[in-house]
Amino acid sequence: MGSLRSFIRAVRSSRTIADERAVIRKESAKVRTAFRDPHLDEPHLRKNIEKLLYLYILGEPTSFGQVECLKLLTSRSYINKRLGYLAAMLILDENQEILTLLTNSLDIDIKSTNPYVAGLALCTLGNIASPELAKDLYADVDRMLDNDPNHSSNISTPYLRKKATIVAAKLIDKDPDLSELFIGRIPMLLREKSHGVLLGALHLVRETFIHDPTSREILRKQAPVILSHLRFLVSTGYSPEYDVRSVPDPFLYCSLLQTLRCLLDKDDNNPNLEALNDLLAQVCARLENSKGSGYAVLYEAVQTIFAINSDSSLKVLGINILSKFLSLKDNNTRYVALNTLLSVIEYEPLAVQRHRNIVVGCLQDGDISIRRRALELTFAIMNNQNIRMLTKELLKFLGRSEEDNDLKSYITTQFTLACYKYSPGLEWTFHTLIQLLEKAGDYFSDDILSSILALTMQNEDKELTKKLVIHLIAASSSPDAASEFGLSLITIWCLGEYGDLVVGMPNYKSGKLITEKQEVDQLELLLNASILKKSSRRDQIRLYILTASLKLSSRFKSAKQIEHLRQMINKFKNDTNLEIQIRAIEYTEIFTETKTIKRGLLERMPPPPRKEHQGIALFDREAGREKTSSGESDQKKDTGEMLLDLLDDEDDVDDQKAEESTSGNAGISESKNGALDILNDIFGDTGMSHNAQQPAKKQSTSNKDILDLFGSVRGASTTKKTEAVDKISIPETAITAYDDGNIYCGVDVESIGDGKANLDIIVKNISSASTINGITVLCAVTKKQKLDLSALTQRELAPKELGKLKAKILGPSGSKVKLRVRLSYNVGGEKIQRQFDFAGIQKRL
Amino acid sequence: MAIQFIVILNRQGRLRLAKWYTAIGESQQRQTIKTIHKLISSRDHRKQSNFVLFENSRLVYKRYNGLFFVLCISLEDNELGYLEVIPLFVEILDSYFDGVCELDIVFNFYKVYRILDEIVVGGELQDTNKTTILNRIYAWDKFA
Repeated sequence: MGSLRSFIRAVRSSRTIADERAVIRKESAKVRTAFRDPHLDEPHLRKNIEKLLYLYILGEPTSFGQVECLKLLTSRSYINKRLGYLAAMLILDENQEILTLLTNSLDIDIKSTNPYVAGLALCTLGNIASPELAKDLYADVDRMLDNDPNHSSNISTPYLRKKATIVAAKLIDKDPDLSELFIGRIPMLLREKSHGVLLGALHLVRETFIHDPTSREILRKQAPVILSHLRFLVSTGYSPEYDVRSVPDPFLYCSLLQTLRCLLDKDDNNPNLEALNDLLAQVCARLENSKGSGYAVLYEAVQTIFAINSDSSLKVLGINILSKFLSLKDNNTRYVALNTLLSVIEYEPLAVQRHRNIVVGCLQDGDISIRRRALELTFAIMNNQNIRMLTKELLKFLGRSEEDNDLKSYITTQFTLACYKYSPGLEWTFHTLIQLLEKAGDYFSDDILSSILALTMQNEDKELTKKLVIHLIAASSSPDAASEFGLSLITIWCLGEYGDLVVGMPNYKSGKLITEKQEVDQLELLLNASILKKSSRRDQIRLYILTASLKLSSRFKSAKQIEHLRQMINKFKNDTNLEIQIRAIEYTEIFTETKTIKRGLLERMPPPPRKEHQGIALFDREAGREKTSSGESDQKKDTGEMLLDLLDDEDDVDDQKAEESTSGNAGISESKNGALDILNDIFGDTGMSHNAQQPAKKQSTSNKDILDLFGSVRGASTTKKTEAVDKISIPETAITAYDDGNIYCGVDVESIGDGKANLDIIVKNISSASTINGITVLCAVTKKQKLDLSALTQRELAPKELGKLKAKILGPSGSKVKLRVRLSYNVGGEKIQRQFDFAGIQKRL
Repeated sequence: MAIQFIVILNRQGRLRLAKWYTAIGESQQRQTIKTIHKLISSRDHRKQSNFVLFENSRLVYKRYNGLFFVLCISLEDNELGYLEVIPLFVEILDSYFDGVCELDIVFNFYKVYRILDEIVVGGELQDTNKTTILNRIYAWDKFA
């Protein structure tokens, strides 16, 4: 029978994978056969276990040898025992039932007078402890922790104590109740001089602190001892056995700092904080110019600075250390520095700002993970003052980084949102967005594109709009740029909406005057450029071109160009995409309508309401995975809705068109159905009938979105001063809208007519005895109308008390007042939410 | 907290040593080793840092000639600190084998495990004094 060595040689000398497999299979079979022999003697058992371990390293199944490992470790020979324990540690883990068979051997061996045997057993327990082993063996471990010189009879050596401390910590992890027992050992252990025992003791402190909240006050009392160890380390000179490149024991340093951080975190009144502050400053000063492992300690110190309640000067020092890390050649320090800066920017934003140039410099780094983090940090430090400068850097980054395509959609989203937030002016925003669209137009999300369109519509400065359109035409006329999806889409949309405004104005690039023909050609160019896109994007561009063509046709003067547009729409009648086909056929119908109808139908879009956008994060820091991803989806929903809003209006046009073509009614008024549908859309109520053409996903709009939608209204209105109101009686003119026995809700018309209405919404507690609190009233009106809602005069109503809020509605005159109201309140500890419609007002606006 | 596992791989992805401090089961272990090799072997060690995100933890690795020494630690651990553990381990191996090479580890893997067990227990660093650790190991060898 061959030895382990010859087995390894045989595997290594195999020429092919098949050869190698054959060798391994043969040897594996031999080991299995040997294990089946009940009379296998110890030397042979040992040899086979050796081979079993090699099989383990080769990634072969080894669990068949578990029992044999346990057999071997009961051997009286130390060498065999050692191998048995080694195998047990590798082949067994805490989830194996067979582990119970190990209890007895461990119990005997930990008590052994031979420190090597005891050490082996402790090490094994430390590596594969299970909750059961913890319960059975904690007393043995506890005895090992004893370092009281008065108990000289059973005192253990530092060698065993250092292992026992770690094992004790492991046992607490498996069975947190054990912390009560081990905590008594901690004060003595922390007084040890041996670095090994200290490391273990500190680990034991942290584990106890984490697992047992009741221990925390007791453990905090140990802070002075730990501080004194730290002080000693800071002041100590060279100690050859522990120094790592002239840094005195960096591992102990880190462990001490980590433990102190753990103990003093969120304990702002701890008497030891001041001492720790001093020491941290000393640590930083002492190690400032060290290298290698010194950085590890500095990094630990910086983390501690930001975790505890430290002086602000210390925080600035921390940021300075991190920025020094950033300026080093070493990728590792740069990586940790960026990570840490990202998490501490909220504490010292100004200090981080000072190192802006270094951060921006990291955008050019060779390491993608550093570039990513630098990018995220760049957005984090962006503000009103530096946006221009950072924009230049980001555009440079976009222009250069061919390989970072996966980062581009992150950039476009964050950048667009930052533009909204910190822009020095709308013109600048548009200018920057166009550059962004030119450089990374393919990487815009639909949500962001629609938000850009919304921004365009919200802009009231006509001259600026014209500039924007001219810029877009100039930007998208080069063949390269025309293939950028986002740029194409925005250009097409703006041409359709504002194309007629810029006819006759000079193009910035060519200097020539823009003609109607040029605009039509541009649409065609963009259409052709979209052929290479994937089908969903191509279809989207086609739909946009259809609408743009139709809109332009009602505003252009040249009959030739209008005919050209008609042909363009006509072409889509044979499109393979059904939706495009339907749209094309509908649009050709509209084309034949009289000018007045077309004008009305194809009016410019009204500005949509402003929405708040949430940024997205590239990374999940500190296990915030769930948080981030939900944030991201919120944002998607939010902006996604905006896109739907836009589509909605288009659909409405279709609806009305359909109705009008049957009834022949030329006026454009809101049909009752349409209005209800719109309300429906706002509330996402699936209970009511839906327009067939509307995308199905609209139904999934959750109630939360309503809150988002109205969040701003509520937030703004609460700051308004509220007037004193009559607290008891409901005005006689009020119309009852809702009454459930607890609460009454009515509407009192103050004035109505001339396109506006002033309403008082009255909420009264009509219950006999219970107080109602946490009352919120949310209202929505039809889309064509605008609603301004004041705050409720009081959110808590005693029995018979009433509160009011004022609603101002603006809208096209003649339209009917319809309200959808969501009322929520707490009564008797129960949260109640009701929703109802109110259309009880006969007069029209 | 602490080290979740330590593996030594060569550039071809051959496992030379693996020590797991959390119980994840054999098949998961094999899968993890494959993934780690994919993640690490493609990195440019001159331009890139020695840290890689791996599932919900972080890999800290160093390459010595043809061998990757990889530690897996939690996200909140000090990655620079754990990066120093690797040279500590390698320097001890180097003194012990008098200039360690891949073959030393292949043929003496059980000794390497023994050395590792003197440095790390249950994922925690138990000693950092090279001399003490080496003396301990020499003393063990006298039994053989």
